[in-house]
Amino acid sequence: MSADGAPKFREDVLEAISNAPGVSGGEEAVRAILAGYARDKVDSLEVDPMGSLVARIAPRGNGSSKRGPHVMLCAHMDEVGLMVTAVEKEGRLRFRRVGGIDPRILPGQVFRVGAEGIRAVVGALPPHLLPRPEREKVTAPDDLYLDIGARSREEAEERVSVGSYAVFDTTYEAWGTTRKGKAFDDRAGCAVLASLIQRRPPLPVTAVWSVQEEVGLRGAAAAARRVQPDLAIVLEGTASGEAPGSPAEEQYPYMGRGPALTVQDRSLMVHARLLDVIEETAKRRRVPTQWKRPGVGGTDAGRIAISGSGVPSAVVSVVCRYIHAPAAYLDVRDTQRAVSLIWHTLDTLRKEWP
Amino acid sequence: MSSRASHLDSLLPALSGAYGPPGREAGIRAALRRAVRGLGTAREDALGNVHLHVGGKGPRLLLSAHMDAPGIIVTRVDSSGLARLSILGPMSATDWIGAVVHLNGVEQHGVIGWDRPKESKDSREIEADALYLETGLGVKQAPKKIPVGTVGALHDRAEKLGDLWCGGNLDNRAGCAAIVAALRGTRGLKNDLHVVFSAQSDLGARGAMTSAFGIEPDAAVVLDVAFVGESRGGDIALGKGPCVGLKEEGFLPHPAALDLVKRAAKAARVSFQWLIRESSGSDARAVRASRSGVPTALVAIPARKTGGPRVLVNAGDLEKTVTLLRGIVTTSYTGTRGSK
Repeated sequence: MSADGAPKFREDVLEAISNAPGVSGGEEAVRAILAGYARDKVDSLEVDPMGSLVARIAPRGNGSSKRGPHVMLCAHMDEVGLMVTAVEKEGRLRFRRVGGIDPRILPGQVFRVGAEGIRAVVGALPPHLLPRPEREKVTAPDDLYLDIGARSREEAEERVSVGSYAVFDTTYEAWGTTRKGKAFDDRAGCAVLASLIQRRPPLPVTAVWSVQEEVGLRGAAAAARRVQPDLAIVLEGTASGEAPGSPAEEQYPYMGRGPALTVQDRSLMVHARLLDVIEETAKRRRVPTQWKRPGVGGTDAGRIAISGSGVPSAVVSVVCRYIHAPAAYLDVRDTQRAVSLIWHTLDTLRKEWP
Repeated sequence: MSSRASHLDSLLPALSGAYGPPGREAGIRAALRRAVRGLGTAREDALGNVHLHVGGKGPRLLLSAHMDAPGIIVTRVDSSGLARLSILGPMSATDWIGAVVHLNGVEQHGVIGWDRPKESKDSREIEADALYLETGLGVKQAPKKIPVGTVGALHDRAEKLGDLWCGGNLDNRAGCAAIVAALRGTRGLKNDLHVVFSAQSDLGARGAMTSAFGIEPDAAVVLDVAFVGESRGGDIALGKGPCVGLKEEGFLPHPAALDLVKRAAKAARVSFQWLIRESSGSDARAVRASRSGVPTALVAIPARKTGGPRVLVNAGDLEKTVTLLRGIVTTSYTGTRGSK
């Protein structure tokens, strides 16, 4: 238990799932870790037909007849990555991007391909061999390839096959309160959710670790129809706005200044009253919060909100530097604050909703 | 006719002046609930739609009109106290120039300005980044009073200019007012009538989608506005009566629902014009595709854009729309029987 009565953030879970591969559509390894962790903490655990992990937890006996709304807490397991689409006769692997990877950061990166994590380099000619005008340009992703060091198709196909996924080759590290790792969008949210289920909540909760968020919010849409919650809170790892040279007022949100609350993004107008409850809880419990930048991005909450006859939905995010890139940073004080904020919000909701 | 006209003369200014950008419709929701008092059972659903069950015997008919209006959201407040914006809904950045807005929650007004490029021509093809919001709050107060995430809407009350209504929120408060006016004093409903004033239409028909799912109607009529210049193959015009939709992006009317509208127009002797547009303006698509499909028709009030924050609607068209709506709710929906 943390100092303020909320469950403690489980950094061990974050480390394990950050290191595991889980590109959209291939979330098995991440799911296995979370399922193993959750099994003895929840009342039921199932994998839905899309592949999302759905855990139901009845509320703790509180002596009150008021049951409270059924809350769906959701974080997506998938990360952006690559998929091998062809093996060429020289042994090079052609690939497609899965989700929003910025093509500018690809050349030269090391990836891990397939379940066995075969190392591959995104090939790019050294500057010596490039015509001068080409040196200033970003290579189009279609002109890039993955190289596992094979000299022929036969040699390559012994180790990888078409359809294999590739993830950034990054290992979790700690430094002060800073943590470095890949896929903090949204393994940070997944670990916050895992931390929350350590104790029985004050109202009925269904925890959903969803699939295929990065390719169109697919898993959560299906899960919401199955779960049919009264309310939903989505836990995200979101982009920090910190950038050298930008005016101060443009640099928010910041890593280390508390969970970011969303008012609006491209997929969602956050439910006004639910947002009020979260804000009031943060103030009362002295959890620092900041605003996420409006007008950009989209999350699973957008799909959950319009499922069935509608679900009041909100988003709470851990602010990370350099998401959708080889390595991101977060501050473990923020992940604990996110756990505390959601935990206490559940308490407020039991008392005050509707 | 005169009593209906007087209804609209008070309804339209009141409804058009109510605050209600997409997702923050509390003001217009309250105004509509006042306006429909005594007409049925009203409730608010999870997405903020107003659902009015009027009753009546027969098939379940949904009459749906969106109540949200153009909005903006503050994305940052710069070092000079000006707010920068993102736009909620389809109103273009250009059309926002000069608009007076009401920022709810803080009860503050502001005006939208434009950073006109010094060297370039005034082509007015601009992005939302070029807009700013001046509130007069100054460098110290602005970041506190209108922080990131503050939502605003046009501060505008419709007024009559001769035969025209002029206002910033007429899309679709004109439709909301027409429904309320049609329901008042109407007897002899031939369907089990459900009315929805939908939320978040301007963000992609989100409210219409969830309300139709909940109501599971046998048939639906969506009421919205259509702009002059939008219709292909014979453009629409002000003063020629309501439009009946034949096509818009993602939507084709169901023959049985279209038949209901046509029979009602004939019985009520309302002339109408056809609307065929490529844009995806209305909630009709979302209602049509709800659950296993809902026979849906689209009725639209013709409107003209002014190239600024206001739009124009013909008062006679609005009266005819009221008459058509009365016809629709007093004509029984016969399903696929009798439709071609």
